[in-house]
Amino acid sequence: MFCEKAMELIRELQRSNEGQLPAFNEDGLRQVLQEMESLYEQNQTDVNEAKSDGRSELIPSIKLRHCCLLRNQRCLTAYLYDRLLRIRALRWEYGSVLPANVRFHMCAEEVQWFSQYKKSLASFMRSLGGGEGLDITQDMKPPKSLYIQVRCLKDHGELEIDDGTVILLKKNSQHFLPRWKCEQLIRQGVLEHVMS
Amino acid sequence: MDTQSYLPVKPGVGMEENFLSLDDILLSHERLPIRTECSFPRLGFLEKSSDSHDIPEGTKMELPLWLSKGLYEKKRRVLSVELPKVYREGWRTVFNADPNVVDLHKMGPYYYGLGSQMLHFDSPENPEIAQTLLQTFIGRFRRNMDSSQNAYNEDTSALVERLDCLEKALFSSGQSGLNSFQSWEKGRASQLTASSLVLNYRKRKINDLQP
Amino acid sequence: MDASEVEFLAEKETVKIIPNFSLDKIYLIGGDLGPFNPGLPVDVPVWLALNLKQRQKCRIVPPAWMDVDKLEEMRDLERKEDTFTPVPSPYYMELTKLLLNFASDNIPKADEIRTLVKDIWDTRIAKLRLSADSFISQLEAHAKLDNLTLMEINTIRAFLLDSLNCLYKLRSNQHPGSSKGQFADF
Repeated sequence: MFCEKAMELIRELQRSNEGQLPAFNEDGLRQVLQEMESLYEQNQTDVNEAKSDGRSELIPSIKLRHCCLLRNQRCLTAYLYDRLLRIRALRWEYGSVLPANVRFHMCAEEVQWFSQYKKSLASFMRSLGGGEGLDITQDMKPPKSLYIQVRCLKDHGELEIDDGTVILLKKNSQHFLPRWKCEQLIRQGVLEHVMS
Repeated sequence: MDTQSYLPVKPGVGMEENFLSLDDILLSHERLPIRTECSFPRLGFLEKSSDSHDIPEGTKMELPLWLSKGLYEKKRRVLSVELPKVYREGWRTVFNADPNVVDLHKMGPYYYGLGSQMLHFDSPENPEIAQTLLQTFIGRFRRNMDSSQNAYNEDTSALVERLDCLEKALFSSGQSGLNSFQSWEKGRASQLTASSLVLNYRKRKINDLQP
Repeated sequence: MDASEVEFLAEKETVKIIPNFSLDKIYLIGGDLGPFNPGLPVDVPVWLALNLKQRQKCRIVPPAWMDVDKLEEMRDLERKEDTFTPVPSPYYMELTKLLLNFASDNIPKADEIRTLVKDIWDTRIAKLRLSADSFISQLEAHAKLDNLTLMEINTIRAFLLDSLNCLYKLRSNQHPGSSKGQFADF
């Protein structure tokens, strides 16, 4: 049956749950486009024949191929769109710099889209609060206090805080740090929020 | 968990599909038994059991829902669609008697979705099908609500295994409400946690390393 | 809505404290606070009360309803009535948790209060589910949510809204073509 390749793309995305981004399936995409090309060519031939020789019995087959073209188009659009939704989520979960293993799964256009999304978001955040700017990716939960206790889950090097002090984030060390400095690192799994 | 920032396109449920919803694309890939009412020249290869050049009129075969919908015409007979067993009178009687005993996952898994889509094909039974779908949903509602709102911190696979896709989605939205309240009650709601997306990536990386 | 956001809203409720320090009135966007004088009761928002309490700067006076006799009466009424009875505070659950966690030494019979409030909560949630079920099964078009609190609604919101959405779609199936035009060829 036609459109099986396109379904594979969709199933592949559906299997990666919780919004994970599977590797961009360039090969699959190409195969679907190839199928569409050949469907289109067959239809052209049949349409011409139907017109010139009055062979109207070809019409049902033309319609069937046309449905398959539309179906392939729908699957590809949905595939690309759903990937964009996942990529957008990465900005909120990881921050503006993506780890290499995640970036590796994106195609060139997606990398470009991500950096444009990043820029729009940044310029929106800069424009908030009368030019003062406001980081809306912070404080996703209402903060209870300005400082929190954190434990390092892995070696992460140095971290500079507002007053210029530099702290060494060494595995298993505990620190009392400004909450806004830690939020991103906690989301990335570098630090762990210790509740008293 | 509730700060999940990936929000997929939701399925349309009912008769309207959502163009970009992955769930709806999978649903519309369900195969339906059909009978061709005209011949399809030069497409014989789609029908595996024959090796003729065309698909002749009167062939019984299975086509995916999306194709059946696309080809179906009310005025001109191109194909006729057979109603899948679960929506026929025999099963409808079972559903109307006690919707809770049925394993909708086995019968579906898109019981409501596919049933609603079947209404696109003219059939004198359509009003009864629509009625049964609605009554089944209502009849099973209480059980689904109670199980999704009571099962805290336990393995829910047994609870969801007999649910259809739509009910499963409802179950998990019930669970997220319950979990968020419970973690608040335990004083965990204000704790900052690592993104589940990040954790999953890490898990996958470790799995990749262990062949 | 996350439960921690509901709690955040609850922290704007006022509570009486007895400070052990003195400070002039302070003027904030959200309203004026103080003045604070040792031994003189003053009304402050819960977030401030808890902060001062944690630094041992005050004693918290529990709200009048946070009392074993009154809560027992409420629990019995809640169990007797089929409808939701009025609650003493729109944030009774959140305030109970916050005050008992941080200031249990200022609240007499803290443990009994905790149990009673939990009983009231459980009774109300059971009622909520019962009414949600009859709402769905009788295909009602609207429901009154009188006397329900935000936290209570919040526990069932996602589930109920999604269910109602499905129900709406399944009901529209009975009158095909009424919602929109004929089907699109996807």
